[in-house]
Amino acid sequence: MAAVEAQTLITPTREVFWNVPPAGVVVMYLLAFAALGVFAYGLARHVRMWRRGRPAARLHPVGPRLAAVVRHVLAHGRLLVDRVAGVYHLAFFWGFVALFAGTTVVFIHQDLHLRIMQGPFYLYFQSATLDVMGVVATAGVTAALVARYLLRVPRLRRGVLADAVILWLFALILVSGFLVEGLRIAGTADPWAAWSPVGHGVARLVRAIGMSEAAVRLSHSWLWWVHFALAMVFIAYIPFSKLFHLVLAPLNTYLQPLQNPGGVSLIDFERSERFGASAFTDLTWKDLFDLDVCTECGRCTAVCPASTTGKPLSPMNVILDLRDEMTRSAGASRRLLAGSVIKPEALWACTTCLACMEACPVFIEHVPKIVELRRHLVMEQASIPETMADALRSLEVRGHPFRGAALSRTAWVEGVDVRRLAQGQGAEWLLWVGCAAALNERNHPPLRALLRALAAAGVEVGILGEEETCTGDPARRMGNEYLFQTMARQNIETLARYGVTKIVTLCPHCYNTFRHEYPQLGGRYEVWHHTQLLARLIDEGRIKPGGAVAATITFHDPCYLGRHNGEYEAPRRVLGAVATGTVEMAQCREHSFCCGAGGGLYWAEERVGQRVSHVRARQAADTGAQVVATACPFCLLMLEDAAAAVESPVRPMDVAELVGRALAEGS
Amino acid sequence: MDIVVCLKQVVDPELPARDFAIDPATQRQVREGRPLVISTYDENALEVALQLKDRIGGKVTVLTLGPAAASGDAIRLALAMGADEAVVVDDSEAPQRLGAAKARLLAAALRRLGRFDLVLCGCESADWVERVVGPLLAEALQAACVTFVSRIEQVDGTLLVRRLADEGFHLVEVRPPAVLAVTSDESNRPRLPKVKDIMTARRKPVHTWPVAEVAGQAGEEGPLEVEVRQVTLPERTARCEFLSGDPGEQAAALVQRLRELKLL
Amino acid sequence: MGGVCVIATALEGTLSRSSLELVGSARALQPLGLETAAALLGHGPGLAGAAAELHRHGVGVVYRCDHPLLTAGQSDAVLAALQPVLARAQPQVLLVAADTVGREVAPRLAARLRASLATECVQVEAAQDAIVARRQVYGGRALATLVLRARPAVLSVKPRALDVPDPAPVDGRVEDVEVSIDSEALPARVRQVLREQAEFGLEEAQVVIGGGRGLGGPEGFALLRELAHLMGGAVGASRPPTDAGWVPVSWQIGQTGKTIRPALYIAVGISGATQHIAGVSGSRTIVAINRDPEAPIFSVAHLGIVGDYREVVPALIARVKELRGT
Repeated sequence: MAAVEAQTLITPTREVFWNVPPAGVVVMYLLAFAALGVFAYGLARHVRMWRRGRPAARLHPVGPRLAAVVRHVLAHGRLLVDRVAGVYHLAFFWGFVALFAGTTVVFIHQDLHLRIMQGPFYLYFQSATLDVMGVVATAGVTAALVARYLLRVPRLRRGVLADAVILWLFALILVSGFLVEGLRIAGTADPWAAWSPVGHGVARLVRAIGMSEAAVRLSHSWLWWVHFALAMVFIAYIPFSKLFHLVLAPLNTYLQPLQNPGGVSLIDFERSERFGASAFTDLTWKDLFDLDVCTECGRCTAVCPASTTGKPLSPMNVILDLRDEMTRSAGASRRLLAGSVIKPEALWACTTCLACMEACPVFIEHVPKIVELRRHLVMEQASIPETMADALRSLEVRGHPFRGAALSRTAWVEGVDVRRLAQGQGAEWLLWVGCAAALNERNHPPLRALLRALAAAGVEVGILGEEETCTGDPARRMGNEYLFQTMARQNIETLARYGVTKIVTLCPHCYNTFRHEYPQLGGRYEVWHHTQLLARLIDEGRIKPGGAVAATITFHDPCYLGRHNGEYEAPRRVLGAVATGTVEMAQCREHSFCCGAGGGLYWAEERVGQRVSHVRARQAADTGAQVVATACPFCLLMLEDAAAAVESPVRPMDVAELVGRALAEGS
Repeated sequence: MDIVVCLKQVVDPELPARDFAIDPATQRQVREGRPLVISTYDENALEVALQLKDRIGGKVTVLTLGPAAASGDAIRLALAMGADEAVVVDDSEAPQRLGAAKARLLAAALRRLGRFDLVLCGCESADWVERVVGPLLAEALQAACVTFVSRIEQVDGTLLVRRLADEGFHLVEVRPPAVLAVTSDESNRPRLPKVKDIMTARRKPVHTWPVAEVAGQAGEEGPLEVEVRQVTLPERTARCEFLSGDPGEQAAALVQRLRELKLL
Repeated sequence: MGGVCVIATALEGTLSRSSLELVGSARALQPLGLETAAALLGHGPGLAGAAAELHRHGVGVVYRCDHPLLTAGQSDAVLAALQPVLARAQPQVLLVAADTVGREVAPRLAARLRASLATECVQVEAAQDAIVARRQVYGGRALATLVLRARPAVLSVKPRALDVPDPAPVDGRVEDVEVSIDSEALPARVRQVLREQAEFGLEEAQVVIGGGRGLGGPEGFALLRELAHLMGGAVGASRPPTDAGWVPVSWQIGQTGKTIRPALYIAVGISGATQHIAGVSGSRTIVAINRDPEAPIFSVAHLGIVGDYREVVPALIARVKELRGT
């Protein structure tokens, strides 16, 4: 009776430093300052290193960036791609946030003397909510420990002490926190104990085992200091461990590249001292920042087509090796980044597919760094694998990288009716054919089918013919920026001479180059990929596929259409209109598995491990489809090659070919 | 060591077959609109020269005989790879000249250049494949001559070179001055130029001499002119000629055909 | 005075095969109405037999020069020895084999004699008073016809371009020519002959034999090696054998392997994927041996055999051995 009265008469709150002597409070504040000092020192050291990097503009536009933070940090968008890990991370993330908020409330109440920690707020939030979130956090951390050490999930490494230290630290802070709460509740005969269910339970247990008052006070005191000490260690440890991601990850999410994720900078050859990155000061501050954000989660390596087929490339190791060297040398390393810190074999195994960047929960940009290191190797050391050097040489001499091609650029035009800009025949659209299509016979049927479809839809299309040279994409990806700029300027001049403003490409690499890279040199055009144009024409009813291709089709998303340019739907809309049935591979859309040709690797010798293209061919076969459709001439060549090698019954075809079939069926 | 490397620009030997044509007026390959490259083995010769310079120091000069307007790319590449200086004998008739005439002009240019220890050239040009320029230069310059050289080493005052032979290799001791005709080898793959070198190559000296001047100083030495009556493309059917019979007969037929084609 | 002089060499002790091929060229020049003689250069007991060989094939006069310096690769010694020989013979036409020594000697001889010069000929014949020579140009894509009117004329003939002619014995005579050569004065001197079968890089070889998936396993390559060795060529592969580890990756020919431009490419058990063809499309002559008559390789091959390589290649090897007389 008295307790109930007492309840209604006293404002719900608790004594903040119960059982802590005044001297203890002073020591606490001193230690807290010390811990924050260590934190600040660690942070400052890193800031100093980041500032050694080159400039980069990443702060604007604000709106979309904040939206990304909400989506990926608060709602764990990327993390949840690995459903199980995403859920338990979500648990201890929100648990941590809540408990941190609770600590902030105490600070406001105690140190700022704003008495908010009382009344209903104290009961509903500070007591009930925090207890529940504490449980959620504990469940999450427990799951993390179980996944890593008991279930031994392959992606999560074991054998690194720091990983265990961090998880156990977190777990012990949580458990000790509950014990301290329970002992306080027991020791103060807290009237509102029921609002803190866990603490209440602990208190009841304490009573049940018959601890004396003195014992309760003593154990509370010890555990309070343990809890506090662990928390301070945690805070001080942040800038010196992968815990740094607590601070940096939300920032890096804000700073992500909103478009052109695989893009690289334009080098001014007349003014630059160095071409490519040989020292940390050659990378941008954002690159250096990236190195410190890594949580060592391994998701990038787990999806990398090179890593998973046994090549000597691990995207995570590239980031960590750079990070460790940066930390060791405080950003002033004398070792060559490309060659010494990162082995050339690793750099030359990258297809620039962006799977690593798509998977990274903290938005690290692996690929631009790899290209910067390649630039140094190629342009300053003249070091590049032989067959890739041959392709570059061929680009310089013949204007295309396909050494040994027996066809000329216009061999496919025989018998095809199309306008030639060189003969003064203007057209609304320029069809940029691309080298892979013109010089490889397998790509001629899709090319002709596309032209027929466009003609049927009444679209005016012209070609450059012999004046078309390579866009320079292979040169840029292999790191020869000088050659890229030479070719790009030449093409921009040709296009300007003909007054070209609208381009439709067969190839996603050409599409990407016109869309994102030529503007750096002053060439601005409206660029469409052929599947985008076909989709639009189908939507508008200008292409009416009379029949449908009687086969189950699975679509292989080309990396340079999908991840590089965010286009996953257009090809599917087209297929939907021309196929009787479609089925998706497990790794599709933004999780598509590369065909192996990107990054200039079409011209590389694959000497180690399985062939990337063979793995993809088997994935296509596993769907049971009859046809694997694609929208890229390189993908088509790789998949054809692979289908023969693994004896797969699935036929690779371009989307345009399928449209051609459907149109033929209907007529 | 002062080295002069003779380079020749030819139409890309890897041209697709359909782009290959003979100009009936000149009885030579049509060059118009076709990409030009440094003749294959001349690049190996340049690489050998640069490797020697890297090892023992000295100077590498490249010398080319051809239309100055078309020679720019070759010269720029050679300078970017590491040559120090270039001389172009501006000769619009060069694509029509045979090896003997070219050697005479090159010899005159070399005399005008002055002192040199070594002259390197490709063992054969990628287009006309006469294999004469090296030996003829040696005669004109009264120098030693070895052809089909794949590697060069300097030992004391002389050179020890590796010559490709039918049955293997010869190690030949040569006393400079010498003219060496170079063939390709895994040790002399032409190097890729560094971008810095491509950019600084623009500042290296390039001298252009009109061919009339050089011809005026040329001697009368060397072989006499021969007439090129015609250059023809052999009859080539588009379809494969299948050899029939049992394996023994097929093999016999193949051997017969290969002998007819001068391949066996 | 002089007629046609064949420069015959026995630098390795016995008469070289190409020397006899030159006698065939000399016969083709019979319409010029010139006598055929030979300058025989070499060292050792084999020279007597070499002279006899020449007589047996119709060469009347053999100017024999025996000197210890006239051995493998000694072009400067050969040139020095030729001086007194040619002073004696005063030929109007000289025929030289375009072998290791011949390709150095022929042009230099032409320069010294102020003669007209045609090298690397695959055919030589007489047309009225002139000599017509044919040679391959532009990597074998075309044939050039040259006319040599002036005398003397020096022609170097590609080894194996012509057959050894049938014997036509004559009663010949040998004139020994004394020659003194100062070895110290030779500007270039062979120090060592390395007789390794020059493992020609794929890119240097004039004959390449490629093996593909159709070989069925690494053992098939042993057959190809034997044939290549007989023909003086190199062995390569398309992608599947290198993928499967039957042969080293460095043997791969194709868009991402080596690009080759040999005079002869024989594709055995290769289907003819475009990536592979890209690496061999510059070959002058392509021969394909494959069990599948529809294989794409036949659309780029000049000569085709539909059959099992396990039967065809051994038959080929036997035939080539017969031809070589080994």
